[in-house]
Amino acid sequence: MGCSSSLPDRGSGRLVGPNVENGGAADAKNLRVKLVLLGDSGVGKSCIVLRFVRGQFDPTSKVTVGASFLSQTIALQDSTTVKFEIWDTAGQERYAALAPLYYRGAAVAVIVYDITSPESFNKAQYWVKELQKHGTPDIVLALVGNKADLHEKREVSVQDGMGYAEKNGMFFIETSAKTADNINLLFEEIAKRLPRPALSSSSSIQNP
Amino acid sequence: MEGSSSSPSSSYSSPSSAIFYDFLDRMRNPASLDLVRSIKSFIVSFSFYPANPENDGKRVQEFFATMEDSIRDHPLWAGATDQEVESAMEGLEKYVMTKLFSRTFSSSPEDAKIDLEVSQKIQLLQTFLKPEHLDIPLVLRNEASWLLAEKELQKINAFKAPREKLLCIMNCCKVINNLLLNASMSEKHVLAGADDFLPVLIYVTIKASSPCFKLSNYDVDANPPQLHSNLKFIQLYRRQAKLVSEAAYYLTNLVSAKTFISELNAKSLSIDEIEFEENMQAARLTNKETQKEATPTLEEMTTSQDHEDPGPSLRSHDKETRGGSNYPYMDKEAGDLTVGDVERLLSVYKEVVTKYTSLCTAFRQLSLSRIENHVTNIEDRNVSSTQSAETGMNSGQRDGE
Repeated sequence: MGCSSSLPDRGSGRLVGPNVENGGAADAKNLRVKLVLLGDSGVGKSCIVLRFVRGQFDPTSKVTVGASFLSQTIALQDSTTVKFEIWDTAGQERYAALAPLYYRGAAVAVIVYDITSPESFNKAQYWVKELQKHGTPDIVLALVGNKADLHEKREVSVQDGMGYAEKNGMFFIETSAKTADNINLLFEEIAKRLPRPALSSSSSIQNP
Repeated sequence: MEGSSSSPSSSYSSPSSAIFYDFLDRMRNPASLDLVRSIKSFIVSFSFYPANPENDGKRVQEFFATMEDSIRDHPLWAGATDQEVESAMEGLEKYVMTKLFSRTFSSSPEDAKIDLEVSQKIQLLQTFLKPEHLDIPLVLRNEASWLLAEKELQKINAFKAPREKLLCIMNCCKVINNLLLNASMSEKHVLAGADDFLPVLIYVTIKASSPCFKLSNYDVDANPPQLHSNLKFIQLYRRQAKLVSEAAYYLTNLVSAKTFISELNAKSLSIDEIEFEENMQAARLTNKETQKEATPTLEEMTTSQDHEDPGPSLRSHDKETRGGSNYPYMDKEAGDLTVGDVERLLSVYKEVVTKYTSLCTAFRQLSLSRIENHVTNIEDRNVSSTQSAETGMNSGQRDGE
């Protein structure tokens, strides 16, 4: 399924039992963001996130690695940090009706499809429509075509993905969780698009 | 602290009993009289109004917020770190919610009704649901892990404080998480995140609500697992600042599992629709038998007979059942049986197997149950020490006046 090789063969030490973050209040310099992942099962949602979370190597950052909940903090150039709390959702059709429980209150929704599967692209469009109707009003939407390394099996063109995203005012990117292409870029671009609370006199606040 | 603490074991917090006793100690200090007064009058104020879950939840949350400010500004906590204030708030939450438990837990008839419905649905599903019905991959079918996850979830009814109930859910989810992570590393199973996590959690939730669940809580008679009420209680009364991030995610997953179960039909599963209906029907018959055993009133028998016609050859057997034996085929020869007996035979067979399995599990868990019993006792002691603390508060208050 295209992402097995992206799982680094590491000792299990750091993977045992995720930590609970106490989740200090966000301020203008340190955002905490709920990000929900939607998309058909098998499109590689979790692989993208694992790539992102494990790929970033920053010994000071507190990383939560679970199988379905992950969090990762990134630092932006303007010296702000964004902590992504990533909520994975089950992509199988039988759980589709449960999605609102997960995307409620999300600041970001990343909708993933597989460029080799037109059905998964249709499903992605279904999620876009649902979020436009029922998501948080100012939610940041990103459309991601994953498995971009599988050129020869491509069935959804870049133009189709990009065109659809543009029409719906979404950020669009193609990624490969296998080669790590564009994975970090995806999250950096999302971070830039987040609505910022007005910068106030909170510059003295350290990283949480 | 693992296994011996009154709190669900947790790797990321200090022993909750220590936190709680520290809180009680500070409350006994005459200097905290003003806080004690606020707490007591808040708790007493609940007896002035009828229970109303949403409103009660709002009031409790507002009270927690106000108290957090008061504690921060209080001389007893002068110079205290955020962590110390946090501990005091955990102590406060536990104290207040233990006091208000009977008033706030499953307090509306609607909640009790939903609990019963979910629990009945689960009882039916338990008789035939298999991992393949939820397409759980083979590498994740690990009975030992699942049993461990079930045990963690089953502890939820042994606790009254929202934080501790939530911890039971977290611990259950962590066991499942570790199973997925291990499978991805040792079995080369592609880590599929929530695609794998949710089905396992649903399966575990259904299995965790078995009759053994009730046994392990020493409440064999009634007391359904109250899945809905537990979730609602946590959502309403866990301090909102703590219902974020990972805790919120796993809570949402259990809410999700409950929702899936209560809306489950043949189309929700990988199962033939007719097979599903037959299984549900057989399970209903079995459960009815079990209920009759529990409460063999004449009324119930006649009404259940009236409500449903379970099949042509069933009535005569029912008489035998009432006559005494619950297993009406014991004196039959193969030639006596008709095709019409199959359904009944199957349901009786399932009942026997279910009972046998439950018995075995219960027997195996006996030693473990003793530990749990011990835990429950400690919890009770906590409550009684809470009460004695209150008495302490009382006298303190009188001294002050």
